[in-house]
Amino acid sequence: MAELTVQDLHLTYGDNPILKGVSMELMRGEVVSLLGPSGSGKTTLLRAVAGLEAPLKGSIKIGDKTMFDSAAGVDIPAEGRNLGLVFQSYALWPHKTVFDNVAFGLKLRKVGGPDIEARVKKALEGLSLGHLAERFPHQLSGGQQQRVAIARALVYNPPVILMDEPLSNLDAKLREEARAWLRGLILELHLSALVVTHDQGEAMAMSDRILLLNNGVIEQQGAPQEMYNKPGTLFTADFMGSNNRLEGKVDEVSGGRAKLSGEGWSLWGQARASAKQGSSGTGMIRLERVRIASGPGDNRVQPELTTSMFLGDKWEHLFKLGGTPLRAHGPSALAPGRHWIEIPADDLWVF
Amino acid sequence: MSAVPAPTMPGTAKALPGILSWRALTILVTAAAVLGPLGLIVYQSLLSAPFFEANKSIGLEAYKFIFHDDDFWQAAWNSIRIATGMTLIAVPLGGLLAFIMERTNLPMKRWMEPFILVPSFVSPMVLSFGYVVAAGPVGFYTVWAQDLFHLDSSPWGIYSVTAMTILAGLTHVPNVYVYASSALKNLGSDVEEAARCAGASPLRVAFSVSLPLIMPSLLFSAVLVFFLGFELFGLPLVLGDPEGILVLSTYLYKLTNKLGTPSYHLMAAVAICIVAITVPLVLLQRRLLVGARKYATIKGKAGRMRELPLGPWAWPAFALIALFIFVTVIVPISGITLRAFVSSWGFGMKLAEVWTLDGFREVFNEPTNTRAIWNTVLIGTVGGALTVACYTAIGFATHRRNDWLSRFVDYLVLVPRAIPGLLAGLAFLWVFLFFPPLTPLRTTIFSMWLAYSVVWLAYGMRLISSSLMQVAPELEEAGRSVGASRGTISRSITLPLIRPGLIGSWLLVFMIFEREYSTGVYLLAPGTEVIGAQLVSLWQGGAIDIVAALSVINIALVSVGLAIALRFGVKLRD
Repeated sequence: MAELTVQDLHLTYGDNPILKGVSMELMRGEVVSLLGPSGSGKTTLLRAVAGLEAPLKGSIKIGDKTMFDSAAGVDIPAEGRNLGLVFQSYALWPHKTVFDNVAFGLKLRKVGGPDIEARVKKALEGLSLGHLAERFPHQLSGGQQQRVAIARALVYNPPVILMDEPLSNLDAKLREEARAWLRGLILELHLSALVVTHDQGEAMAMSDRILLLNNGVIEQQGAPQEMYNKPGTLFTADFMGSNNRLEGKVDEVSGGRAKLSGEGWSLWGQARASAKQGSSGTGMIRLERVRIASGPGDNRVQPELTTSMFLGDKWEHLFKLGGTPLRAHGPSALAPGRHWIEIPADDLWVF
Repeated sequence: MSAVPAPTMPGTAKALPGILSWRALTILVTAAAVLGPLGLIVYQSLLSAPFFEANKSIGLEAYKFIFHDDDFWQAAWNSIRIATGMTLIAVPLGGLLAFIMERTNLPMKRWMEPFILVPSFVSPMVLSFGYVVAAGPVGFYTVWAQDLFHLDSSPWGIYSVTAMTILAGLTHVPNVYVYASSALKNLGSDVEEAARCAGASPLRVAFSVSLPLIMPSLLFSAVLVFFLGFELFGLPLVLGDPEGILVLSTYLYKLTNKLGTPSYHLMAAVAICIVAITVPLVLLQRRLLVGARKYATIKGKAGRMRELPLGPWAWPAFALIALFIFVTVIVPISGITLRAFVSSWGFGMKLAEVWTLDGFREVFNEPTNTRAIWNTVLIGTVGGALTVACYTAIGFATHRRNDWLSRFVDYLVLVPRAIPGLLAGLAFLWVFLFFPPLTPLRTTIFSMWLAYSVVWLAYGMRLISSSLMQVAPELEEAGRSVGASRGTISRSITLPLIRPGLIGSWLLVFMIFEREYSTGVYLLAPGTEVIGAQLVSLWQGGAIDIVAALSVINIALVSVGLAIALRFGVKLRD
């Protein structure tokens, strides 16, 4: 059953269209990420669901209750939607203690005093914050603040929890731990969550489904593996993962394969729908699929090594193929000069 | 070889003493203008008779006299009641209005804001007259309400401590509003949206999140309103006097007539009592301001400001603001304006039948009144410009310097804040009588201008220093690094950069000088007439037609300033 249904949502700031007809569903117990570059409208979509932005057209339903419907003139204000929202900045109220921050939503719902105490305590303990109840937000670390913000959004059991870049305010190291923890928490509590993020790694790790937004419309949606391994468009391919990008001309398309050639090189790849014989095309291959080869062979090129960077667990080599930069990973340092590089035809998408 | 002499380095040691002495002179003159009158009040309060009498001795007789006067205690009690009551009204209401105007998407709010601020630009004397002729026993609105609802008596009374408290509370809402709204401006929207998502209505957001977060600013303005309560003069004079209700300032004013002879020593003693209340409050306020700034930096991370959508709450919010503007602006100003154009008013009269311009004819037939108008214009325009020039000089004397002299000036400019205009005017009267070299200036508009400039010193210095603070320090440091002296930097870098701010300050000073009334009460003499003080004197004489006409002229003068300020986008508040 769909906990959240958005249909053909349009939203503008002044004359500037932000959402141009977005439709999506969030099933019970599902985690969906809204992914996209800045300005793609992902945060606006989340805020529109929360009731903090006024859409122009379309409808938003939570469960079977209509929250917004331009045609029917329905627009339930934010306080009437009963959603949990975790802000990017956490937005903890600095004048209230941790306990009071979490208890506020229950007080507004006229929950009795002893009941509030029990529920807040349970929520805080569930997030290992029990000992911090009497602290003020500025006395907490970033990670603790984030957990208070989550406790505050969960305590009144909203049907859907919305998270706006929940991890972006944490240090890089803490972020990876929090990602795993958050995924575990969502599964454990059977939450239905809509998460905004601009980090594809975060989106893939955390969610069951990814909605990739581009310029106010959904570019592609699907499970993380599908999005990563079978991008439908150049934008999706480019946005998910680290890539090598080769600009050239499509010489030949046959049997689902396309031949792309540029200045001094020619490679076979998988033809995507947009690849047309005789027109210019773009080749796209994930960094980790590029192999350093020992000698000439099929779909191999011999670029000049520019420099190598040591990344700890591996090396990243920067090559120049004609005028095109090419990057590849390898286990060891390489001598200066030209090297053979294999670009497997199955992994090169030609758009 | 080249015969061109090496250019002498500008701004070397030779220029410094000149600047230092210029700076010292500025500070010395300021200190004399501020502390001289205050010292004279203290001295006078310790004498047994007015200072000009030969037969006087030092002692506490003046204090003994007033402390044994029941009227004094009654007046003090009334002042405390009114100051407390008006604070309790103005702070929540001002905070709520600021929240609605600053944080929500109320339609037409930019258009309404100047009206909310009007009570702080119109003379309290004029507003009080307005309430008398609009809502007094035979006021326009009273008569209309009785006709409309078929009542036998007025549905409200305005000659009581309660009515004075309510009206004082309402007319001081702008004082809270300006501080609350500038604090709310710095608040991130996320904390409000979080409350909204947790299920709080806009009103609940205001009282549970936004207003508690600006508590330091609200406390600051509460202290401000509370001590303004002790300075109230026009309102209790007009609304309290008919029923014999005295507050401290009107008690002091009435002392002039109480004993027949000038009882300066008693007035000085009352003045010191008032100052003894206001000085600690001003110091407390200063501490709170420092605290408020700290609070603002703790919150820090203010994201993009988003207006809170009011939804169905837009109507109650709009109604609240409309009601406030109606009661606080429209009722008194329409009342006094109507009264200026009728010959008399009472039950059963029709506006068309009593319509007249006689009030204005009377004003212009009397040379003291025309002189008052001319002087008021002059003191606002030329005087205002001179005042801003003086304030700027003081501003430069402390700009980007952190020595003991700067800190001294910081406190010095606060002193006039604690001295109500009525007392300051009295003190300046004594200064002009006490110091023979100044006596010839006593009957010139200079005396009035000097008193005005000192009374509004704290207000004006805030305007100037906020302009000065907007100049990035690098711009001045760059000047120093190419070899300019402090004086040259001030003249050719800082001053040109703050010119727009100075022009804005001039307009604001113009408006407060047009509005000022209590400072002139004791300085009023042939030659020094200004509208504000003239109104107090005419009201005492009962010349209601002239008072109404002159009030309308006063409102018109302020409106011209307000219109120019709005036209050129001068910020009415910081």
